[in-house]
Amino acid sequence: MALISTEALTKRYPGGVTALGGLTVEIGEGVIGLVGANGAGKSTLIKILLGLLPATEGRATVLDLDTATQGAKIRELVGYMPEHDCLPPDVSATEFVSHMARVSGLPSGAARERTADVLRHVGLYEERYRQIGGYSTGMKQRVKLAQALVHDPTILFLDEPTNGLDPAGRDEMLGLIERIGHDFGITTIVASHLLGEIERIAGWLVAIDAGRLLRTAPLASFTEQTGQLLVETEDEVAPLAERLVTRGFEAQATGRLMLVDLDTAPGGDHGVYDAVRDEAVALGLPLVRIEHRRHQLEDLFRTDPTAGGADERVA
Amino acid sequence: MSASPEATTGTIYDIGYRHYDGPRLGRRAAVTSVIGAGLRAVFGLGRSGRSKIIPWGAVILAALPAFVAIAVRVLAGELLEVTTYERYLWEIGYLMPIFLAAQAPELVVNDIRHRVLPLYFSRPMGRLDYVGAKLAALALALLAITLLPVLLLWLGRVLAAEDVVAAIGDEADALPGIIGGGVLFAVVLACVGLAIACLTSRRAYAAGAILAVFLIGGVVGGIFAVTGEALADIGPFTSPLTILDGTRQWLFGGPVADSPVAFTDLPLWIYGVATVILTAACLVVVAIRYRRITT
Repeated sequence: MALISTEALTKRYPGGVTALGGLTVEIGEGVIGLVGANGAGKSTLIKILLGLLPATEGRATVLDLDTATQGAKIRELVGYMPEHDCLPPDVSATEFVSHMARVSGLPSGAARERTADVLRHVGLYEERYRQIGGYSTGMKQRVKLAQALVHDPTILFLDEPTNGLDPAGRDEMLGLIERIGHDFGITTIVASHLLGEIERIAGWLVAIDAGRLLRTAPLASFTEQTGQLLVETEDEVAPLAERLVTRGFEAQATGRLMLVDLDTAPGGDHGVYDAVRDEAVALGLPLVRIEHRRHQLEDLFRTDPTAGGADERVA
Repeated sequence: MSASPEATTGTIYDIGYRHYDGPRLGRRAAVTSVIGAGLRAVFGLGRSGRSKIIPWGAVILAALPAFVAIAVRVLAGELLEVTTYERYLWEIGYLMPIFLAAQAPELVVNDIRHRVLPLYFSRPMGRLDYVGAKLAALALALLAITLLPVLLLWLGRVLAAEDVVAAIGDEADALPGIIGGGVLFAVVLACVGLAIACLTSRRAYAAGAILAVFLIGGVVGGIFAVTGEALADIGPFTSPLTILDGTRQWLFGGPVADSPVAFTDLPLWIYGVATVILTAACLVVVAIRYRRITT
């Protein structure tokens, strides 16, 4: 079931910058990675879904509610952790998070109770009574997460949640997000430009580039095997590629790397392996590695056609 | 050791995440909670003792003339009149800029400076709700200065009378002016204070700007009032407090001898028009400011 869907969603800022250009996508449950380079339109998409920004064209629904007309209802049911600092320094975490719970519409008793629960879940204990101004970056990120979670949202939007954290802090934050998505059962949409982090936690990816949908698919399909054999040699691989082409293989060489198409290879997979071995021996060209090539997340954002993955791009 | 430490010290159980299936009260509750939090902030509740000094000091000083007047009335009867309902707000007028300068920034500046607004706007309330809630909080807080002391004076005069029931009848005529004047001052001053405060990114600047507007306006107005004909006509319009005093006189009557309003023969309705223009201008400033803030 699609929790979020957009249709030809377009956002043009005054001044002519197009942040989203006709984005159509459906997003289901689980931990969803929203990936794209800085400026790809991730934050803009989240803000439109929250009803914070109006779309220039197109429409979007969240939990079957229209973002243009039912924004207030949507915002009651979702949580949002912005990318930037957003905490007042002169109140305690307890006071701030419970205030935010009440602004979300929780009665004051429930707000207090859930504040205590949520701060414990994100790992803030005694320090929650101290003023936020004295917190470390890691603690502030936890408070930001807690305020997004305190009203028990159905969907959680996290914008670059590991921003400014050291490696240990990143690990803890990613662990927390994983728990929220899997153990708490809250659909979590994580916008990030750090593919390595997304790879660790997301089950489904939505990749956008320059305001357009690049691809949306389960994470596994982004890294599945391709129909190509990757061959690395110690010296220039071009002579080997030429020999293979004359034998009827489709081979492309760039520097010391060569990709051989397996689907069109005469004699199937084994034929390719044998041919590469035989021709390399004949040329006296030392082999470094031969492997069945997998897609990599980074391929999505590469423009080099020999790097693969381009054929699966959504136009 | 016979007993294990776990048996005696207790254990913390991780009971896991609990979902919330209770009521979600929506936008109205969101607004109410922002008003409530705003009132707490204005009066320094739940904050350090230092942040209580100015608001509570102002409230006490504002009520002081009422207590003195009641005490004098109890002791000396109706021979000596310390203050009147009409003069009261003019006499404690100096407290209003101080209260406003110290507490209006408290309400809005931190949210802008530390970019807390996106957290509000990603909840059931909109920008208009937020601004309305902050204005309401400030206006309600100001009532502690513009309405409460005069009501105290009224109550004191009634209770100090020999025939309380008859006194209620005598004094009842003053109530509309007391309540109307108090609300008028509170609402307009809240608009002025918020409009100035929301333009700055630091509390000190906001406080300074608010004080400057009232102090300079008040001093200039006072000078204009005593210098000459033409300037005396401008005098009342240099400070929000004088404009408000003129409007109060127009709506409810009761001249104040030392107000610049007394130094000119302008018809009183002009102050009403000036108040409307002033309030509208402040609201426009606030609206533009909050529309521009990017989330």
